[in-house]
Amino acid sequence: MNIVVAIKHIPSIADDLPVKGNNVDFDSVDFVLNEWDEHSIEQAVLIKESVGGTVTVIGVDLIGELDNALHLALAKGADKVVKITADDPAADSHMQAKWLSEAIKGMGANMVFAGVQASNDLDGQIGPMIAAYLDMPYIGGVSSVEANGDSATVNKEFAGGAGAKYAVSMPFVAGVQSAPKPPRYAPVSKVRQMAQSATVEKVAPSGDADVRERPLRILKMAPPVVTGHAEMIEGSSKEVAAKIVELLKSKGLA
Amino acid sequence: MLTTIEKIIFIVLAITAAGFTFHGFKTIIDSIRKGRPAPELKNIPASLLNAGVKVLFQQTIFKARKVLSAIHMGLFFGLITYAIVNLMDVLEGLVPGFDLVYGGKHIPNAPTGLVNAFNLIADVMSMFLLIAITVFLVRRFIVKDKALTYRDNVLLNPKVKAGGQARDSLTVGVFVIMHVVAHVLSQAYRLTEGADPFMPFASFLNSIFGVSETGVHVAWWVSIGWVMFIVPYLSRSKHTHFFMSPINLGLAKQNPRGQLDTPAKVDPGAKFLHDLSWKRVLDSYACVQCNRCQDVCPANFYGRPLSPSALEVNKRYLLKEATFGSHPDRLLVPLTESVISPEAVWSCTTCYACVRVCPVGNEPMADIVDIRRRMLIDGYEIDSGVQNALQSLATNGNWMSKGKRLRGRWAKEMEFPVKNATEEPVEHLWFVGDTASFDERVIPNTKMVARLFNQGGLDFGIMYQNESNSGNDVRRVGEEGLFEQLVEQNMAAFGKAQFKQIVTTDPHSFNTLKNEYPQFGGTFEVKHYTVTLLKLIEEGKLTIKNKLSNYKVTFHDPCYLGRYNGGFTAPRKLLELLGVEFHEMPRNCENSFCCGAGGGQIWMGKVAPGERPAENRIKEALTTFGEGSNAKTQLFIVTCPKDMIMYSDAVKTTGNEGKIEVRDIIQLVAEAVGIEEPIHAPVAA
Amino acid sequence: MSNDILVITEHMDGKFSDVSFEMVGKAKELASALGGQAVAVVVGGGVSSNVFASDSTIHIDDAALSNFNPEAYGKVIEALVKEKSPKVVMFGWTVTGMDVAAWLSARTGAPLAAYAKDVRVEGGSLVVSSQAYGGKLMAEVAPEGDMAIVACLAGSFPVEAGQGSTAGTTMASPVDAGSLKVKFVEAIKPAGGDVDITAQAKLVSIGRGIGGKENVELAEELAKALGATVSASRPVVDAGWLPRTRQVGKSGLKVKPKLYLMLGISGAPEHLEGMKSAELIIAVNTDKKAPIFNVAHYGATADLFEVAEAMLELL
Ligand SMILES: Cc1cc2nc3c(=O)[nH]c(=O)nc-3n(C[C@H](O)[C@H](O)[C@H](O)COP(=O)(O)OP(=O)(O)OC[C@H]3O[C@@H](n4cnc5c(N)ncnc54)[C@H](O)[C@@H]3O)c2cc1C
Ligand SMILES: Cc1cc2nc3c(=O)[nH]c(=O)nc-3n(C[C@H](O)[C@H](O)[C@H](O)COP(=O)(O)OP(=O)(O)OC[C@H]3O[C@@H](n4cnc5c(N)ncnc54)[C@H](O)[C@@H]3O)c2cc1C
Ligand code: SF4
Ligand code: SF4
Repeated sequence: MNIVVAIKHIPSIADDLPVKGNNVDFDSVDFVLNEWDEHSIEQAVLIKESVGGTVTVIGVDLIGELDNALHLALAKGADKVVKITADDPAADSHMQAKWLSEAIKGMGANMVFAGVQASNDLDGQIGPMIAAYLDMPYIGGVSSVEANGDSATVNKEFAGGAGAKYAVSMPFVAGVQSAPKPPRYAPVSKVRQMAQSATVEKVAPSGDADVRERPLRILKMAPPVVTGHAEMIEGSSKEVAAKIVELLKSKGLA
Repeated sequence: MLTTIEKIIFIVLAITAAGFTFHGFKTIIDSIRKGRPAPELKNIPASLLNAGVKVLFQQTIFKARKVLSAIHMGLFFGLITYAIVNLMDVLEGLVPGFDLVYGGKHIPNAPTGLVNAFNLIADVMSMFLLIAITVFLVRRFIVKDKALTYRDNVLLNPKVKAGGQARDSLTVGVFVIMHVVAHVLSQAYRLTEGADPFMPFASFLNSIFGVSETGVHVAWWVSIGWVMFIVPYLSRSKHTHFFMSPINLGLAKQNPRGQLDTPAKVDPGAKFLHDLSWKRVLDSYACVQCNRCQDVCPANFYGRPLSPSALEVNKRYLLKEATFGSHPDRLLVPLTESVISPEAVWSCTTCYACVRVCPVGNEPMADIVDIRRRMLIDGYEIDSGVQNALQSLATNGNWMSKGKRLRGRWAKEMEFPVKNATEEPVEHLWFVGDTASFDERVIPNTKMVARLFNQGGLDFGIMYQNESNSGNDVRRVGEEGLFEQLVEQNMAAFGKAQFKQIVTTDPHSFNTLKNEYPQFGGTFEVKHYTVTLLKLIEEGKLTIKNKLSNYKVTFHDPCYLGRYNGGFTAPRKLLELLGVEFHEMPRNCENSFCCGAGGGQIWMGKVAPGERPAENRIKEALTTFGEGSNAKTQLFIVTCPKDMIMYSDAVKTTGNEGKIEVRDIIQLVAEAVGIEEPIHAPVAA
Repeated sequence: MSNDILVITEHMDGKFSDVSFEMVGKAKELASALGGQAVAVVVGGGVSSNVFASDSTIHIDDAALSNFNPEAYGKVIEALVKEKSPKVVMFGWTVTGMDVAAWLSARTGAPLAAYAKDVRVEGGSLVVSSQAYGGKLMAEVAPEGDMAIVACLAGSFPVEAGQGSTAGTTMASPVDAGSLKVKFVEAIKPAGGDVDITAQAKLVSIGRGIGGKENVELAEELAKALGATVSASRPVVDAGWLPRTRQVGKSGLKVKPKLYLMLGISGAPEHLEGMKSAELIIAVNTDKKAPIFNVAHYGATADLFEVAEAMLELL
């Protein structure tokens, strides 16, 4: 089984995000691995552990700091890691998806996994786009993948604990929401060992000419106006109750 | 006294016994040597001697169970005396005419006075031994002291479960009784001239059993012949501790309590028994199986499946089965299946209570950390909360998933500038720690520390976003790689800073900075803020304006300040200067009871049911205060940000709000010095 | 090319989700500004499509499409878009809409604005307000080109504006079900046992302020009236007033409901860890300095019992 996991390096939202011009000030934020990518890596490694195969993790190196995430992936059980040396922190999902699909094209992947979404997917997630560019079917919101021969049984989650089971023929792209098991922890010593011994394959970005022409123009970016404090509902208990009910009704919640 | 045939039999027996004993100890020593290297010990003869003295005066057992310890001391002296008694018995048997009864008057030129004194001591000791042994046997078999049992959920070697320890005790107990009675009888049968005033017990037996030549022989053989069997047996039973515990004490940890052994580079930590250092293989032979460590273990108290003594006992049985028994393969069973359950491994708060209390210098806690180390490397599925904390520590340098840049936010909200120690020289580099930097409940106290330092004219600064978690608990969770990474980050930050000493608010940071950073080349003078505050007051830089006599307080010694680093006096001294009514809880100082947060427990995503250690501690405080008048406000004083959280929670969960309040000592100092929170202080967002 | 707006609606078990109506309402507003029509698109059978206030409704009424299938839905919508050349295609940014919107964008080359909280027409062109970076930033974006795809966060617009009736034009599915690589096998129903609070859209969460087990019933009643489920802070669970499956927080479950109504919870960080990303947090607490008010969207300094009883009368 040949599984490719496409990951996304994104600005960390643990800090406040400073804005410069009409975008994030990429120079003063930390980049971290998209949290759902941890699940897609875990799902891939679980499949490899059960039916064998190789796991290749590939990502776009936006600021020259992707290596750590790739070493982490190796420590978690990936076999091969590839980075696309783009050096463009503002590259949007369309561009990244294009570069990724160009690089994935020749890999003979049976399955391509991506995190179901990322917090900077302003122009959509890379998973469905990679599927479109590679002409493979896509299924997202995935909570488990079991490979059987040249097709896979994929569970997709809906709201309220409901979901559905699909049979998907390979090759396909899946947007992983959660692996059947929590992503494993890779001890730092192992990651450091990988950093010393492993090689990260480098690929130049290509194929983005057509997506650059249709951008989603960002006019403005700013922190939402928050008071840092709840809007207080004043009045007697009866009045408070009435206002809460009114509020809920207006939001379609009562 | 003995016939020639008897003598020959005796000598053959003695040689055989020596052979078996030698084999026994050789097996033990071989097995100890299979352990991994331990940190180098310095000046071994001196520490062995020192241990010998400690053992002679039985100092180490008195850390707990005072009455039983006194009896044990008697037993110990009795057995020491008996070593000489046995020697004399052998001489009496082998050397014709050598007979100590009646002051040894049948031996030419015998020092009668000395012999009489010896006879008296031996006789009295015999009686005492019988009583002491009976007490211990009654405790184990009739009273069935709970302290000698284990919780049902604790992993136990099947043999232990089936009562192996009890059988061992019974064997030795019965041996001692028979041995002593036979020895005294062998004398009683020889009292042909009536009572010997220096042998009251023997004389008493003589008055019942009379004189008998055959009796002398039979009794001698029962007494000394038995020894030929029991000595080889001892080397194979739990009573090896007779020999091994003094050695273990002599070879006990010399590094600071707060310094964990550095793990091996290859296959770090312990999966199998011989992955432990040889010292900790020795631990299991030295273990008295007294369960003192289990008594003080907060995790055990909380109903978790952890018992430090079961860990040692299981190790011991595993070794026995593998070396003396026919199951060498048992040593290839992972420790987490044979010695301690994974759940138990992850219940330890690393409070050090077990190590501190152990009379023979064992370190069960160190084994647990080693087992954690390997579990992490082997990809064991750790608790999700711990995993989140570790992941955040790796990316953000703190366990609370906060951005690095937010670390110094509280300082920017102060009414005076707080220096950035990485940008300008300061005398005191304040290492704030995660909880004090980020937790909204603790930040008011952090700010108060800053105000008092400021008022006291202390030249201090913090490292803002350059500070990372010190790694104390990370190391104790077993994540050595991450610990090293954090140490490197902090060392890089320290490298940018100019300072004379480090002051910490968090005892955990205090411990690792003081005791473990030197392993990485970071030797600093590190102080806990209680010491710094005390100094400011004693030097008159902070003046106590209001005496706080309206407070009735007790104080909780945090493990990493107290037991680990002996920081007992500064907080007590401070409280005294503040003029509060102070009450000491029964479990204080060295014997303080862990709040349950250490060793990564505060990160755990799953909370087990049962009375939590912190809840028990709050009850202890209230009992200490007694019913009495409630005119005064009752306070539970802490000096650790984590304690603030653990105990505030426990006051609520035990339903004691209004009765007792948890405060950081800084709040009292501030009140006494007369500093209040400025009204214009910007509110934390 | 038209100035029409296609709204891709969503349904399950014969019912449309709220976001479908929300989008239809919004589409009407946008359509009138752009001079086009708001068209509701219903994919799949087993549902009555005559429920929208749209200008027209297209129903691809094919039983084979009744269950959501990302590949089939994508192909159907792609074909429809080719045929109708709309100005805007609206999806819900939901577990189903998410599967198709970005795919369609890559297939057609039309830009996608995701996480949309608001959509409006400014000077004849579309401007979308999107919630980026987990809500840390709001972005104003302008999709350029002939067609734009907008994926809207649920709960962004009123539901009522989209409710109404328009008879649909029925269309056959252009997709050959047999050729699909993704095949629906079966539905997975929520597991039995106690309710899964992480899967609830609305939670009424109680803290120690509830006072005792006997008062939990009041919270249950309120929850029932709101169509919500009761969850709790740890002390409530520790006290045995509710099972552990209901605990929210660090040592409990992490929830992300649309409504998190908190009664008598102080807002300790351990609790916040489990619920701070709820979409709407309303806290009722007698202590006006309770830390929860720094996190809640709405708060009231009031007695929870009085408020809960008064709310029950109004519901
Ligand atoms: C990446 C990701 C992370 C998530 N993380 C969390 C999390 O941490 N915690 C958590 O609680 N949830 C989480 N969810 C689930 C999330 O809360 C929502 O289920 C999801 O975001 C879509 O929500 P929604 O309300 O917009 O659509 P939903 O209401 O979930 O709609 C899902 C689909 O089901 C159908 N449907 C559902 N209900 C109805 C109805 N009443 N009538 C008609 N049709 C209906 C619709 O057709 C729709 O296509 C996550 C989802 C995603 C995609
Ligand atoms: C390691 C650790 C893990 C933890 N994990 C969790 C966890 O997973 N989840 C969790 O919830 N907690 C957890 N806690 C506990 C947490 O610290 C708090 O103690 C707990 O969240 C407080 O619960 P509460 O808000 O219900 O109670 P309180 O803090 O006591 O708050 C009760 C509130 O009710 C208000 N109130 C009282 N009466 C009324 C009334 N009549 N009307 C309106 N308001 C009223 C009060 O003003 C007060 O603000 C953890 C603690 C620790 C140390
Ligand atoms: S360190 Fe503390 S918690 Fe751990 S085993 Fe020893 S006594 Fe128990
Ligand atoms: S480890 Fe020490 S304290 Fe524990 S049972 Fe053994 S001898 Fe006793």
